[in-house]
Amino acid sequence: MRLKKIGAFFLILSCSSIFLSAEDEIVKENASQIRYEIWVELDDASKMLYGKEDMIWVNKTADEIEDMWFHLYYNAFKNEQSTMVQESREEDLLGMKILDVLSPEEDEWGWIDVTSIKLAEGQDLKSTMTFIPHDEPLHSGDQTVMRILFPEPLQPGEEIHLQIEFQSKISRMKMRSGYYQNSYFLGQWFPKPGVYEEGKGWNCHEYHLSSEFYADFADFTVHITLPSYFVIGASGKQIQSITNPDGKTATYTFHQKNIHDFAWTADPDFIKVERDFIADQEINLKEYEDTAQRLGLPVDSIKLPDVKMILLIEPEHRNQIERHFKALRRAIKYYGLWYGPYPYETITMIDPPFRTGSGGMEYPTLFAAGTRIFRSKKVLSPESVIVHEFGHNYWYGLCANNEFEEAWLDEGINTYSTGKVLAEAYGPSDLQINFNRIPAAYFFDLPQFHDYMFDRMAGLQVVELDPITTFSWKFYSLGSYGLNVYMRASTCLYTLERLVGKDLMLQILRTFQMSFRYRHPHTEDFIQVVNEVTGQDFSWFFEEFFFKTLNFDYGISSLSSYQKKKHFRGILDIEGQKKLFTKKQVKEGQAEEEKSDSEKIYVTEVVLKRFGEAKIGGDALVKLKVAFDDGSEEVVFWDGQARWKKFTFERSSPAKVAQIDPDNIWLIDSNLANNSLKRKPSKKGILHFTNKLFFWIQNYLQFISVLS
Amino acid sequence: MGLLRIFIQGFSTTNSKARMVIYLWLTNFVFSLIIVTPFYLLFNKEFSRSLSGDSLAEGFGLLWFSDLAYKYKDIPGVMAGWALVPAIIFLFLYIFLNGGIIGRIADERKLINFENFFSDCGKYFFRFFRVFLISLFGYALVIITHKLISSLFKLWTKNASTEWPLIISSNLKFLIFILLFSAVRMYFDYVKIRLVVEDSKRTILTTVLNLAFIGKRFFKAWFLYLLVGIMALLFGLAYLGISKILPSSGYAVIMIFIWQQLYILSRMWVKMLFFSTEYHFLVHHKTTFP
Repeated sequence: MRLKKIGAFFLILSCSSIFLSAEDEIVKENASQIRYEIWVELDDASKMLYGKEDMIWVNKTADEIEDMWFHLYYNAFKNEQSTMVQESREEDLLGMKILDVLSPEEDEWGWIDVTSIKLAEGQDLKSTMTFIPHDEPLHSGDQTVMRILFPEPLQPGEEIHLQIEFQSKISRMKMRSGYYQNSYFLGQWFPKPGVYEEGKGWNCHEYHLSSEFYADFADFTVHITLPSYFVIGASGKQIQSITNPDGKTATYTFHQKNIHDFAWTADPDFIKVERDFIADQEINLKEYEDTAQRLGLPVDSIKLPDVKMILLIEPEHRNQIERHFKALRRAIKYYGLWYGPYPYETITMIDPPFRTGSGGMEYPTLFAAGTRIFRSKKVLSPESVIVHEFGHNYWYGLCANNEFEEAWLDEGINTYSTGKVLAEAYGPSDLQINFNRIPAAYFFDLPQFHDYMFDRMAGLQVVELDPITTFSWKFYSLGSYGLNVYMRASTCLYTLERLVGKDLMLQILRTFQMSFRYRHPHTEDFIQVVNEVTGQDFSWFFEEFFFKTLNFDYGISSLSSYQKKKHFRGILDIEGQKKLFTKKQVKEGQAEEEKSDSEKIYVTEVVLKRFGEAKIGGDALVKLKVAFDDGSEEVVFWDGQARWKKFTFERSSPAKVAQIDPDNIWLIDSNLANNSLKRKPSKKGILHFTNKLFFWIQNYLQFISVLS
Repeated sequence: MGLLRIFIQGFSTTNSKARMVIYLWLTNFVFSLIIVTPFYLLFNKEFSRSLSGDSLAEGFGLLWFSDLAYKYKDIPGVMAGWALVPAIIFLFLYIFLNGGIIGRIADERKLINFENFFSDCGKYFFRFFRVFLISLFGYALVIITHKLISSLFKLWTKNASTEWPLIISSNLKFLIFILLFSAVRMYFDYVKIRLVVEDSKRTILTTVLNLAFIGKRFFKAWFLYLLVGIMALLFGLAYLGISKILPSSGYAVIMIFIWQQLYILSRMWVKMLFFSTEYHFLVHHKTTFP
């Protein structure tokens, strides 16, 4: 019955050519691989989706293609045989099994059924449909990848026109997509082909616990029918909304070209607010000129377009509306200035419905942020999640890497970019500590930090567990996946920035972004861009830090300064004769020396050590700066290849402190404390902090004593 | 006699016997030193000759903390053990000291010295230790009751459609826990005071009989207890407020240290005030002992 209704809309709205906009001019070279027109109806009572998908897929490769693989992500929530549930059974999160956290009740499982799939000409392909779990280790009961066979191989340049009908039960499993009461967040909800890679075949992985997505660019026209009491938001631009003849439902049509996914959300309580990002009001000429100079580009080429900003926010967060827009404005500004203009007309920011488990998630032109009722202004939340998720429009949205296989390319780069934008736009944030959902920052002055500090702390914990470039589901654990691809990768990029300089790093990321927009870049592409932009070979950097599990730790092993001896014991040859110098004579000589005004020479010995396995390479050197008591300094360099190296200096003054990496380039170094060594210890800082700790312990003991 | 008068009496007794606050402070100070020493040695080893050590003066820093977190990632259990074992010993020591505190408060003479204080500590230790063991059942009861109340709240929050019910319920649950805990704690305070006042060794019987005493005037006793609790809260707020305006560099470190120790002293003083007010409340109603 519902499909008939959808069919009527098919007839009315199938003339999708009328929805073409100015964006048609975008990326002519990278025209979409797929054209979708989807009709979907939400049944609020049964939590079902009924859909019809009209899809045209173009073979842009030189291969003859005999089949097509589809993602059916919702089947990850179907039963305990799915790859995701199998993986969640093994995985702990803060001492709880992930499966227990997801905790599906009997009526909360979800699934998707393809009820019909045929060629537009009418030939039924459903009989060829099979589920093909194939990722190692094999979970044979998984149904998240489906394969169909073509009647005849698809020749290069040909297109195939498929018509698919599907039904989905929406899950309550709180994994990016789902419902709570009558609030919905719907991502990965329709049958979506994998990515066909020339010469390799279909890249279409199962839905894993610790992986996100990979899809081809497409033009979407989506007609969503749902009860008219809902407020709706979706990827792209809303081009039509009509109330249906039944008077109870409405149909909204959204259109967007050149995106690779389509998500939507619906909640009766949403407050919908629109604002404009007007580039000329947000960025002044000087900012354009400064950025253009840093990028080495003409000012006109970095001018930003205006963007329509749409916010769907829950009523209890109404007082944070301007806070959301302010963060989004700054994100659009800095991502746009630094990495390239945001190319779409709209960006939709969702304050995700309560308990839908959909916060902090990105989709092209739409993202879910997430906030709480009580938020301190000293803590950059929700700002950090808004900036981060918007940033994914660049890293994942436009540079559409394979998140199953090289998640760092979007998560790592975007974590780094988020930190840069937050530092530029806001400065440091207070630590986020809540007590009973009330921010501690309301009452206490909490320590402040920049993102790079937090990234380093987290990233270091997994350096020896997995290479950053591991396939997402093959990491040692969910924690290792997260900390490696987000924080460790980000820390490596901060290190790279400090090695090549801020401007060159900006040029690297902009070149990478603009060269691979609407494409699927790989790690090798990024390395190539780094090498091209810097004019140096940085392959060693990636080899050492991204492809291996080596700890990086250079430090100073010892520092000593002593007065150079002029008197020596033993038998010395003096004027052809052997002369004995006794201990007493040496002492007397030294005492005279002390009294005289003659210049004293001090020998300073500094031993540098490579404590970790990772080595620097290329043109990089370990810089050693030695500061002497008389205020003078000496700087020398070491290639850092051996395990250790001793440097000796002869000066009129003893050393005060030796420091390697004085410019703080090697953020990835796991022990910054051993990068410097003073000749004489100083305890001021230690006593100061120990005093704080002492006071906390005193209070802790008093707290314990209440039980007495 | 009104509660206010009892409160003033308690206040006066606490002040007249404030020397005990020094004993308590010294105990706390020494134990805290024992716990903090390994941490000091660790900081000394890692940072005394490093430029990173200078940044410790600014307080907690993620960069130097990350160095430690990486280097010592395998020993948090040992660190936790080190923080826990002395705390448990400290708890037993406080059971011992409570004998001295209550014994001296109950002694009408104002004389407080090491000899009579520690004599009382020894005299009442085993009685109070038994009370402590019995009180564990009381605290277990608090936890069970709190769990039951939490499950009722869960019924409410299970179908919440916004975060508000979670905020309200988590804070209400916390408040309820504090109130339940305070009631049980107060109950066993009176058991201890009564053992001293009656010079009785019958801890179980006194615990049971105390039920009748407290049962008859629970809300009065609890109100008095909470009144002292509010004083503790006010001291905490005063500490936080003034800490915010204290300078933090140079010689101000000494000022901060002194201010911190004054706050710790105030906590000891409040602890005595609890016992003093409870003692006067109990003596006032002595004729009605069951």
